[in-house]
Amino acid sequence: MARSQGIRKRCFSSPTKGVNMQKVEMREAIRQAIDEEMAADERVFILGEEVGYYNGPYKITKGLLDKWGPKRVIDTPICEASFAGLAIGAALTGLRPIVEFMSFNFSLLAFDQIISNAVKMHYMSGERFSVPVVFRGPNGAAAQVSCQHSHAVEGAYSLFPGITIMTPSNPYDAKGMLKSALRYNNPVLFLESELLYNDTMEIPTEEYTIPIGKADIKRAGKDVTLICHARTVKTCLEAAQELQSQGVSVEVLDLRTIKPLDIQTIAQSIRKTHFAVLVEEGHIFAGISSEVCFRIQETCFDYLDAPVGRVCQRETPMPYSKVLEQETLPNPRRVVAQVKQTMNV
Amino acid sequence: MTHSDSPPIFAHDANNVLEKIGQEKLLKMLRQMLLIRQFELRAEASYQQGKIGGFLHLYIGEEAIQTAAVEVLGPNNWYSATYRCHAITLLLGESPESMMAELFGKKSGNAQGRGGSMHMYSKRLLGGFGIVAGQLPVATGAAFTCKYLNKKDELSVCFFGDGAMAQGVFHESLNLASMWGLPCLYVIENNKWSMGTPLKRTLANYDQFPHKFAESYGARYIRLDGMDLTNCYAGFQEAKKHVLSEQKPMVIECLTDRFRGHSVSDPGLYRTKEELAKCMEQDPLLVCKQYLEKKNWLTDEKYKEMERECREQIIKAVKYADEAPWPDPKELESGVLAPPLKV
Repeated sequence: MARSQGIRKRCFSSPTKGVNMQKVEMREAIRQAIDEEMAADERVFILGEEVGYYNGPYKITKGLLDKWGPKRVIDTPICEASFAGLAIGAALTGLRPIVEFMSFNFSLLAFDQIISNAVKMHYMSGERFSVPVVFRGPNGAAAQVSCQHSHAVEGAYSLFPGITIMTPSNPYDAKGMLKSALRYNNPVLFLESELLYNDTMEIPTEEYTIPIGKADIKRAGKDVTLICHARTVKTCLEAAQELQSQGVSVEVLDLRTIKPLDIQTIAQSIRKTHFAVLVEEGHIFAGISSEVCFRIQETCFDYLDAPVGRVCQRETPMPYSKVLEQETLPNPRRVVAQVKQTMNV
Repeated sequence: MTHSDSPPIFAHDANNVLEKIGQEKLLKMLRQMLLIRQFELRAEASYQQGKIGGFLHLYIGEEAIQTAAVEVLGPNNWYSATYRCHAITLLLGESPESMMAELFGKKSGNAQGRGGSMHMYSKRLLGGFGIVAGQLPVATGAAFTCKYLNKKDELSVCFFGDGAMAQGVFHESLNLASMWGLPCLYVIENNKWSMGTPLKRTLANYDQFPHKFAESYGARYIRLDGMDLTNCYAGFQEAKKHVLSEQKPMVIECLTDRFRGHSVSDPGLYRTKEELAKCMEQDPLLVCKQYLEKKNWLTDEKYKEMERECREQIIKAVKYADEAPWPDPKELESGVLAPPLKV
């Protein structure tokens, strides 16, 4: 595929020894990516609800208005369709906007703009126009925010050719992936998780990027592969710990980019472990797991020792009650049970 | 359709405007309108022959609006339009050959045969947009870029139909443009029909609506006679001056009529033959022709000669499109993603 991320400096796939490190929260890592790209390119600006004077609904943009001023850090009214469409128009005419959605549930108001005008534009215009815009913000469930604020949207958006979807699971990835997204020349959905914003991690102080379309092994193992993304990476790492104590060696594969899908890394892992369980926060019907599973049977059917298992959100809108919310989301207990069922142990 | 209390048409002295434009430029604009008309007529015929598929929305009857707009505002602005986008594409300099080839679905078409009738482009045309009102936020974004890059002599020009006024993004866009001082010219091409539904069944207080609406967002509004090239010319001049000097959005409502159905597949059963015939008395080409004849700047003979030349030019374009090669199915999946920018 003809694609490069226009990487200017170093490119690591995981934190590297021998460089200066800083301990940051996920929100700080995201902020650093935005800030550095704004410094590198005057065409980059950010707009969204409460990103300026309020310093960001989740404090991602804290301090950016003071540093860059209201020309480049822009508070919008509550009108997702038009501010997303405005950003698309700005991208079509030479700027490089970042759109913050307070929640990706609100992006559904801008769905037509994102799909009809951003994602299809390059192809539809006979390659006359490109749309370098990043839509970012928290996706999926937070803590008991109920039916209309908890949807994981990646399945819905992934249907459309032309879209790139990235889902970081830790501060290191978030910064490096967002920097690549901001240098890309196509529309990117950058799906964060509110419940990861407080997570801290050592990341390099030196500039780095992580390429689009590369999965990452977060824990090496030999008996079964857990394929996950975003917040479910943490769920899977916990489940892997538990399974280890029961004598099962688990490999945890973080997709990082949903689309394009890194099927090579997936296949490589499954050829080693022969068992796969797919874990995602989105719903089970026609979700990301459906596609990943199909690609697995296409690519490495003969290496599978059992049908692929999956743990997804159950088929209801997200209920408010914490008892129900915990049950419908993938959790370590459900993952452990599914691994045992798939492996028949 | 206008009531006595509805906003008046923008006042202009036609003769004065004609004198200011001059014979040469008027003949050029008349030729552009003739070329648009011939393009649409030949496209319609080709559609009926099965050479063109999908939807085909014709601009016949509305030619004066975009012809005047591009002449007055100039090509060096951002433009966006509805799916009724052939005229604006031609006016912004794309060739009839590449456009007809697009309609025929050919590789050398305006959008490589991927967009079709509703999605045509130029360097400065962000597209014909297929979703009603979908282009409004995008056009507002183009105006944002003008402001961001401090290009004080450029504006964004957004054409849309009266049907778009019921969409939420119409309101949202004008709110943003007014609040942020964006140089966007919103041009309502009011042909009085949202497909087959009249304005009075789609908008509350329909005759006052655009006027009051613009006013409530603090944007200037004028209403033009979209069938009269001179009135459009004068109105767009006023708009250009206002938008660029004030760095504010403005709303123009052009009253017009489409002489065909919503698309070629629409027989237009919602209006009577008499109503349509009455509209066609105001044919913008004939209105323009009469102005020029009155000034002794045009004879009927010269008009027919221009019409014949335009017809021949379009017939050539049809022949070109017919003979042009199809896209290679092997290339079907290329061009979905843009290549990296050259840094």
